[in-house]
Amino acid sequence: MSITLDQVTKRYQGVPVVNDVSLDIGDGEFFVLLGPSGSGKSTLLRAIAGLAGVDHGRISLHGRDVTHVAARERGVGLVFQNYALFRHMTVADNIEFALRVRRMRAKDRRKRRQELLRLVALEGMDQRLPAQLSGGQQQRVAVARALAHNPEVLLLDEPFGALDAKIREELRRTIRQVQRELGITTVLVTHDQEEAFALADRIGVMNLGRLLEMGRPHELYTRPATRFVATFLGAANLILARQTRDGIRFGQASVAASASMPGLFHADREHEVVAVVRPEEIEIAPARDRLASSYLTQGEVQELLFTGALERIRIRIDEGAEGAGISSDGSGSALLEATRTQHEQRAFRIRPGQQVIVGVRRIHVLPTPLSSFTACAPTDGLARALLHEPLLAELALRMKTRISTRVEPRLGMPGANGEAQAAFAGTTVIASHADAVFQVEWLLQRGAEEILILPRDTASPQRVLIHWTDPALRRATLAVSASILRHLSAEALYVDILPEQTPVAQRSHGMRALLDARSEAQAVHGLEMRTELHFGEVSGELSRRLAELPGQMLILGIRESSALAAPLGPLFSSGRWPVLIVHRQHEGAAEPAGS
Amino acid sequence: MRSIRQPSVLPGFALTFGFTTFFLSTIVLIPLAALVLMTASMHWQEFLHVVLSPRALGSYRLSFGASMLAATINLVFGFIIAWTLVRYEFPGRKLIDALIDMPFALPTAVSGIALTSVFAENGWIGSYLHTLGIKVAYTWVGVTVALTLIGLPFAVRSVQPALLEVQRDLEDAAETLGAGWFYVFRRIILPTVLPALLTGFTLAFARAVGEYGSVIFIAGNLPMKTEITPLLIVIRLEEFDYKGAAALGFVMLVISFVVLLTINMLQAWGRRRIVAVSH
Repeated sequence: MSITLDQVTKRYQGVPVVNDVSLDIGDGEFFVLLGPSGSGKSTLLRAIAGLAGVDHGRISLHGRDVTHVAARERGVGLVFQNYALFRHMTVADNIEFALRVRRMRAKDRRKRRQELLRLVALEGMDQRLPAQLSGGQQQRVAVARALAHNPEVLLLDEPFGALDAKIREELRRTIRQVQRELGITTVLVTHDQEEAFALADRIGVMNLGRLLEMGRPHELYTRPATRFVATFLGAANLILARQTRDGIRFGQASVAASASMPGLFHADREHEVVAVVRPEEIEIAPARDRLASSYLTQGEVQELLFTGALERIRIRIDEGAEGAGISSDGSGSALLEATRTQHEQRAFRIRPGQQVIVGVRRIHVLPTPLSSFTACAPTDGLARALLHEPLLAELALRMKTRISTRVEPRLGMPGANGEAQAAFAGTTVIASHADAVFQVEWLLQRGAEEILILPRDTASPQRVLIHWTDPALRRATLAVSASILRHLSAEALYVDILPEQTPVAQRSHGMRALLDARSEAQAVHGLEMRTELHFGEVSGELSRRLAELPGQMLILGIRESSALAAPLGPLFSSGRWPVLIVHRQHEGAAEPAGS
Repeated sequence: MRSIRQPSVLPGFALTFGFTTFFLSTIVLIPLAALVLMTASMHWQEFLHVVLSPRALGSYRLSFGASMLAATINLVFGFIIAWTLVRYEFPGRKLIDALIDMPFALPTAVSGIALTSVFAENGWIGSYLHTLGIKVAYTWVGVTVALTLIGLPFAVRSVQPALLEVQRDLEDAAETLGAGWFYVFRRIILPTVLPALLTGFTLAFARAVGEYGSVIFIAGNLPMKTEITPLLIVIRLEEFDYKGAAALGFVMLVISFVVLLTINMLQAWGRRRIVAVSH
């Protein structure tokens, strides 16, 4: 491996800007770090270069641990967005800078300089000053300069950011060519997904300091694991659907899980999922029998935009009868984005306002266990008040998902379990108060799988405590925790609790459980999690730990739905910390793995 | 003509050039010309006698020597102060930044009295220095201290904007290319801020040569030893020897002009190496 990052964390004023990033980059690989501004990608690159120290973790270059090695001894070449050429030096002096520092003889320097100038197609420019060159030429000089001392690794920080589109593409080609020719391991940082696709052997997507996913461009595009990656790598329609034994259901339409739809997985329990449909996978037809793909829904053409090769269409769709509906962007509006080629446009011409039938050619279901949020309360006013809770609003925004309200007048009241009700899909959100425990039981009896109990005005937590009451819940609880933590910059702490009177001989089992939990979090979800083992009574120990510091949240995996009140009740009604309950009654083998 | 009259956003080359000439004439050129005329009315021998008298020569040496030394001190410490202010974030930074300008605002006589009281043999600092055998007040050292104080803001304020422009990236780039901090300083930072440093030096020097108020308190004003040329001129004036005063003024004018012109040319040469030669 050329570059190995092991749990690298970098904080600024206590806030992690690079959060537990582990990464292996192979010899000669072109790796692109992609993310929005402020995602920590540039900081990570500077850490690799040695210009920013790390607070935790290890960095190795070609097997040599360089975590505490100064930048000038790391043997890397770095190219900056603003070129960072030495303006008082000629092109020749700029390129020879690293060689002069190394006291290379003038003759050898000149030879090396000629080589490099040829490589970046700038022969004969030796005696120019940077101010006499165009932006594209200056960046070529910067690349040549970074390569002069034969670095083992080439690092590029948004190298095309300051250039206009045409020059950018030309330079992109040059850099790819140079990289291939030299076979040098390269890391490029960018926020432009098109650039990433064009250059990368592999892409790593960063957000909020975390490396969310890595993979080959095509793989990441077609099979993202997280909402963020799905929507950041090009346009995507995120659709709430129900996964059943025989396929995916959208409202009333059911799309069979077939070979033509890779990425679908079967599950032995029916639950709400988030499906990704790329705009180009949507088919539009005048009638259902003219559809070549699976029927999804029907809708009205809202907007048509001609963009040259492609036609972009926004379709307002009919909400499904079940109300599960479709959400395209989390704003609650039901708009589908579609693109069509010239060929498709000729086959069926449409105009705004027209009713059309919508089909999908390919669906990808995200393996995320958290789909939508439903604020549930006995009255409409209380349910609406929940929508404005800062933590909920933040989560929904970051997850690009939908929050709806649901009024249950008899929420938490005993009896009257008979009438048929719509299932509780996604995460049900209730307010934290003295009776919260009864509402939790009520919801659990009606099949709610995730319940978020929110005290008033809870801000984003800094630490998330994780606990499950039964080892069988480990997988589900960890999956939910990882999903939550991808959208919050908080640290994770798994707390295991054994009874006070546990014999010393059996206490080692507790340690084993901690290690297992930790390694699963790391291996499956890429989640760095600290662990603690306590002895005592579950509710008491957790309450004590939660009360120590403000800004904590609890994620609690439970199995039983009844007789909950007595032992765990105080955790839900404290009103001081949010609790997310992960409830699985019959945890089977088909729980989605992966993050 | 084309090379003189460049098109510009502001209208009226004739008008603005007229104003420039007018102001320069009334404020700078005509008074200076009067000085030269006054001097010219002297006999050659008389002139030489005045400007080459041992007392005058001693005052030149002190005035220009101490000014040069003070400007050099300001060059070094002004750079360090500007660097600290630009590069580091620390509590009280704004306060220190404001303090730099104090010598601008203070009447020079006040700083002179303050310095004298502090550096006198019984002053706060002077008493310690005295035990070490160093005399500051009433020696050429005191003159240099006063001239350093009043020149400091010029040095700091000239270098500050230039340092702001030295991008961190340049240093980072040099570091990844293998350069140590001293190499980076010598080859990257210094060449970039050199023109600004020279400007600061020039301004501090020019200010020091013309300084009068603060120096006369701390200098002690012993003829031949701690007497600066401006003081000598004032003494001549008080003796109603206007011609003698004018002659000394003329000499100061010539020396200052030569020094400033040299530095300006140095600067222009330096700038030409950085900015493109042909655009």
